[in-house]
Amino acid sequence: MDTLLLVTVLLPLGGALVIGSDRRVARVSALATVLLTCVLAAILVFSYPAGDAAFAQTDVTWLGWPGSSPDSSSAIHFNIALDGLSVWMFGLTAMLMITAVLVGWEAIDQQAPLYYRLLLLLETGMLGVFVAGDIILFYVFFEFTLIPLFFLIGIWGSEARRYAAIKFFLFTLAGSVLTFLGLLAIVLWVAHDSASEVVTFSIAELTLYLTNNPMDTGLQWWLFVALFAGFAIKVPLFPLHTWLPLAHVQAPTAGSVILAGVLLKIGTYGFVRFNVAMLPDATVACMPWMLTLAVAGIVYGALVALAQTDMKRLIAYSSVSHLGFCMLGIFAVNRLGMQGGVLQMVNHGLSTGGLFALVGMLYERYHTREIADLGGLARQTPVLAFFMLVMTFSSIGVPGLNGFAGEILLLIGMFQRAWGDAPTQYVMLYRVIAVAAVSGVVLGAWYMLYLVQRVFFGPLREPKHDPKEPPVRDLSTREICALAPLCVFILWIGLQPSFFLDRISPTLDALTTPAMDIAAGAKDSNPADPPIASKPIEGNLARVD
Amino acid sequence: MSTETVCLLIPECVLIAAALAIYVAGAFIDAPKRWSWIAAGGILLAAGSLWLQGGMSVVEGPVSSDGLATFGRWLALAFGGLFVLLSSRPLSGPGTSEYVGSLLLAIAGLMLVSGASEVVLLFLGLELISIPTYILLYLGRRDSNSQEATLKYFFLSILASAMLLYGFSFLYGTTGTTDLTAMRAVAGASAGLADLSKVALVLILAGLGFKIAAVPFHFYAPDVYQGTTYTNGAILSVLPKAAGFVALARIVVAAMPGTEADGWRVVFVLAVLTMTFGNVVALWQDNLRRLLAYSSIAHAGYMLIGLAVALASRATGQPMAFGGLGAMMFYLCVYTVATIGTFAVLDYLGHRDNPVEGIDELAGLGRTRPVAAAMTAVFMFSLAGIPPLAGFQGKLSIFLSALSVEGQTAGGNLRPWFIGLAIIGVINAAIAAAYYLRIIGTMYFRTPLATPRAEGGLGSWCAAVACAVLALAIGIYPRPLVRASFAAKPAAVYTEGETDSQKLLSVDRKTWAETASPPPHLPDF
Repeated sequence: MDTLLLVTVLLPLGGALVIGSDRRVARVSALATVLLTCVLAAILVFSYPAGDAAFAQTDVTWLGWPGSSPDSSSAIHFNIALDGLSVWMFGLTAMLMITAVLVGWEAIDQQAPLYYRLLLLLETGMLGVFVAGDIILFYVFFEFTLIPLFFLIGIWGSEARRYAAIKFFLFTLAGSVLTFLGLLAIVLWVAHDSASEVVTFSIAELTLYLTNNPMDTGLQWWLFVALFAGFAIKVPLFPLHTWLPLAHVQAPTAGSVILAGVLLKIGTYGFVRFNVAMLPDATVACMPWMLTLAVAGIVYGALVALAQTDMKRLIAYSSVSHLGFCMLGIFAVNRLGMQGGVLQMVNHGLSTGGLFALVGMLYERYHTREIADLGGLARQTPVLAFFMLVMTFSSIGVPGLNGFAGEILLLIGMFQRAWGDAPTQYVMLYRVIAVAAVSGVVLGAWYMLYLVQRVFFGPLREPKHDPKEPPVRDLSTREICALAPLCVFILWIGLQPSFFLDRISPTLDALTTPAMDIAAGAKDSNPADPPIASKPIEGNLARVD
Repeated sequence: MSTETVCLLIPECVLIAAALAIYVAGAFIDAPKRWSWIAAGGILLAAGSLWLQGGMSVVEGPVSSDGLATFGRWLALAFGGLFVLLSSRPLSGPGTSEYVGSLLLAIAGLMLVSGASEVVLLFLGLELISIPTYILLYLGRRDSNSQEATLKYFFLSILASAMLLYGFSFLYGTTGTTDLTAMRAVAGASAGLADLSKVALVLILAGLGFKIAAVPFHFYAPDVYQGTTYTNGAILSVLPKAAGFVALARIVVAAMPGTEADGWRVVFVLAVLTMTFGNVVALWQDNLRRLLAYSSIAHAGYMLIGLAVALASRATGQPMAFGGLGAMMFYLCVYTVATIGTFAVLDYLGHRDNPVEGIDELAGLGRTRPVAAAMTAVFMFSLAGIPPLAGFQGKLSIFLSALSVEGQTAGGNLRPWFIGLAIIGVINAAIAAAYYLRIIGTMYFRTPLATPRAEGGLGSWCAAVACAVLALAIGIYPRPLVRASFAAKPAAVYTEGETDSQKLLSVDRKTWAETASPPPHLPDF
C-alpha cells in the first residue's frame, strides 16, 4: 500500500512526460493514465481503514539544511499519507479527472498534447496537496497547481482568458505567500518552543505538539490571519471571491470542473488541517468573524447567482454560496458542523463539477451560455436533461442525494452552536447567521430550479443553427461515461452517508477536538446560557441517515 | 607570500594566461571562432587545477581557501563556462579575441575576490572584474546607445570604486592593517574606533551596493542593460553581483565586528528599498532587457535580506540554523541560473544585428518556438519563486532565515523587524509574479505576430538548456547545492568548532532554549 500511494501520485506526472505528440494518441494516453490512476486511487480509498493513523505512508528525507543529518527529521521530508480528512478528496480528485479528460475530448483541437500534459500535471499537484504530510511539501503542491491551471485558462479559455488567467494566478499567489510565512512561522515557533535538536516540518508532529503545548492566543491570532490570507482566497470566502467568477467563466470546461471540484476545496482543507487543528484558540476567537463572512458569502453568492443570465456565471456564483456552507459548518466548531462541512466539500465537488461539465456540453452543442437563448431542451436532449436534474437536485440538497446529507449536518451543527453553545455576547449574531444560512438553501433551490426550468422545460427555444454543423444530438456514450460515476457517488453519499462519515470522523475528531473543547469552554465561561445537552442529539443525528 | 599562496592561485593564473594568449594571438590570427574554444579549454584547465587543490587548507596570507573561497571560485568557473557558451558566436566586427580574453579576466577577477582575505587584493579583484567589463560593454554592440551605456557604466563604476577605496582607507586607518583576519582581531579588541568604522561601513556598502545594483546605487542598471547585448546583460547581472555579495560577506560580515548593530539596520533599509523599487518599477517596463535589469535589482534586495540576517545574527551573537549567509549564497545561485538562462534564451531568439527588444515580440512564442518558450517559462516561474523550481527553494531559505532571527540587542528585540522584513519580501514576491507572468502570458496566450529569427547560435541554446535543466534539478533536489552554499562561510567568522555545521545547529538549539535569559555576550571571534 505504501508504494501504491506514491505510484498513484506520481503516475499522472509520468503520463504527462510520455504523452504522444498527436491529438488522438495524446487524449487516449491521457485517458488511460487517469483511468489507471483512478483505479489505484479507488483501491487505496476503499482499503483505507477508519482510524486516525496515517495510511500508506511514504516518508523520505527530501531536502535539508546542513546540520541536519540525512536521517534526522530536521530536514524537509517527502512525506505522503492518507488520512480521514484527505481520503475522500483524494478519491474525488482521481474520479473528477476522468470527467475532466472526457469533457474536452472533442472540444480541444488546438495544441491538444500540451493540454493533456497540463491536465495530468495538475492531477499530480492536486493529489499531492491532499496527501502531503510535510508542511513544505504541502505548500509546494499547493502552489504548483497554479501553473497548469494558469495555462489551461490562458490558452484554451474564452474571450477574456488572458486577464482571467493572470488575475487568478496573482490573486491566489498574493494570499498564499502570506500563508507560506505563516506556515514557516509555525514550524519555527515549535522548534523554538520544544528546544529540541531537530526542526520538524511534519504536519502530524506539529499538530501533536501544538495540541499539547498551545501557543498564546495573541500569536495564534496573527498566524491565523496569515494562513487565512491564502486559504480564504482559495475557498473563496466573501469578499475575496472576485477572481472566481471570472476564472470559472473563462476557463475551458475541464478547467472549471477541476477548479470547482477540487481546487477550491484546497482552501477549506487548509482551514481544517492548519487553522482549526493547529491554532484552536484563534479559531474560536475568530469564529464570529468567520461565520459572518461565510454567511455573507452564502447569501451574497445566492443573490448574485439569481441575477445571472449566463449559465456558467450562475454556477460560479453558486459555488461561492456553497463554499460558504462548507465554511459555516467548519467554523461552527462542533462535531456535526465539522462533519457536514467536510462532507459538503466532497458533495460540492461532485455536483458542481458535474454542473460545469453539463454546461460545457450544452455550449458545445449550442455555442451559447445565455439562459435566454435556450428553452425546452428536455425534448431535444432528454439524457442531458436527466443528468442536469440529478446534479441540480444534488446541488440544492434534495433528500436522498448527497447535498442533503452534508447540508443538514452542517446546518444542525450551526443551529446547535447558535441555540445551544453560543457565548452570551454572540447569541443573537449566531442565531441571525443560522437563520440567514437557511435562507441560502431556499435561494439555492430558487436559482437552480429557475435555471433548469428556463433551459430544459417550457417551449423549445434554440439559437439559430448553423447548417454546416451536424445536428444537435443527445449525450454520447463518452459524455455519459463522464457523468455517470459522479451520479453513482451522488446517490451513494445520499443514501449511506455513514459509510463516508465513518472514515472521515476519527481523523477529523482527532484534529478538531482541541478547538471544539475550547469552543465548549468559551461557552462554559458564560453560565447565563441555558445548558442544552448536545451529546444525545449528536448521537442520534450522526445516524439520521 | 608563501609557496602555498602561489599554488592556491594557480587556477587564476591559468585563466589569466589563457586570456593573455588569446589577446596576443588575436592580433596576428584572424580566426574568430577559435577563441571561445581556447577560452573553454582555459576554464576546464582552471577547473582541473582547482579540483586538484581540493585538500589544501591555507588560512594565513592574502589568499585563503575557506568555504567561501571554494564556493565562490567554483561559482566563477561555472559562470565562465556559461558565458563562454553565450559568447561563442563571433562579434560582427573585429575584436572577438579581445572580447573572449576580457571575459576570462573578469572570471579570474571573481575568483580572486572570492579567495582574497586582504583588502588590497580584494580591491584588485573587483577592479579585475570592472575594467574588462568596460571593454566587454564597448565591444558588444557599436551603436550610440551602447556607447552611452558603456560611458555611463564606466563613470559610475569609477565613482563606486573610489567610494569603496575611501571606505577601505578608513578601515586601514582604524585598524592599521589590510589583512582581514588581523583587522577583525584589532577591531574586536578596540571599541573606541567604532565611530570611524561606521563611516567605513557606509562607504563600503555604497561602493559594493553599486556592484550588486542595490537601490539607490542602481541608476546605471536599466540604461546599461537596455543599451547592450544579451550576453553582456547576463554578465552584468551576474558577475559584479556575485563579487559584491562575496565581498560583503568577507568584509562587512566577517571583518568588521562592532558595526553589526548599525550594519543590519542599514542593510535592512537597503533590502526593503531595493526589492520594492525594483519590483514596482519593473511592472511598467516594455523592453525586455530593461525589465530584466529591474528584476535583477529586485533580486539583489532578496539577497540583502540574507545579509541583514547574517549581520543581525552576528549582532545578537546567536548563530542561526537557517543562517543568513548560506541562504544568501544559495539564493545567488538560483538567481543566476534563472537569469543567465533568460538572457541566453532571449539571445538565441534574436539575431546579432536585430535582437529581441520588446515583450510584444515574444507574442505567440508558445506556438512558434515551443521549446524556447517552455524554457523561458521555466526561468520566469523560477524567478517568481513558484515551486517546484529553483527560485522557490531560494525564497524558502531566505524567508526561513529571516523568520528564525531572534534575540536582543541594545536596540530591542530584533524579531519583529525581521518578521516585517519577511512580510515585505513575500509581498514583493507576489508583485514580481505580475511582470513575470506578463511575459509568460504574452508567449502563450497571444497570437503569434512573426516567428522570431532564432539565430542566436548553438552556444546560447546550450547555455539556455543547461540553465533550464539546472533550474528544474535544483528545484526538485536542492540538497547538494544547499549544502555547498551553507558551507560557504568566511573561515574567520566560524572558527573554534563553529565551522562544523552540526555543532552550529546544536549551539543554536541551546541558545534558543535559553532565550529566557539575556544573551550572555558577543561570542569571542
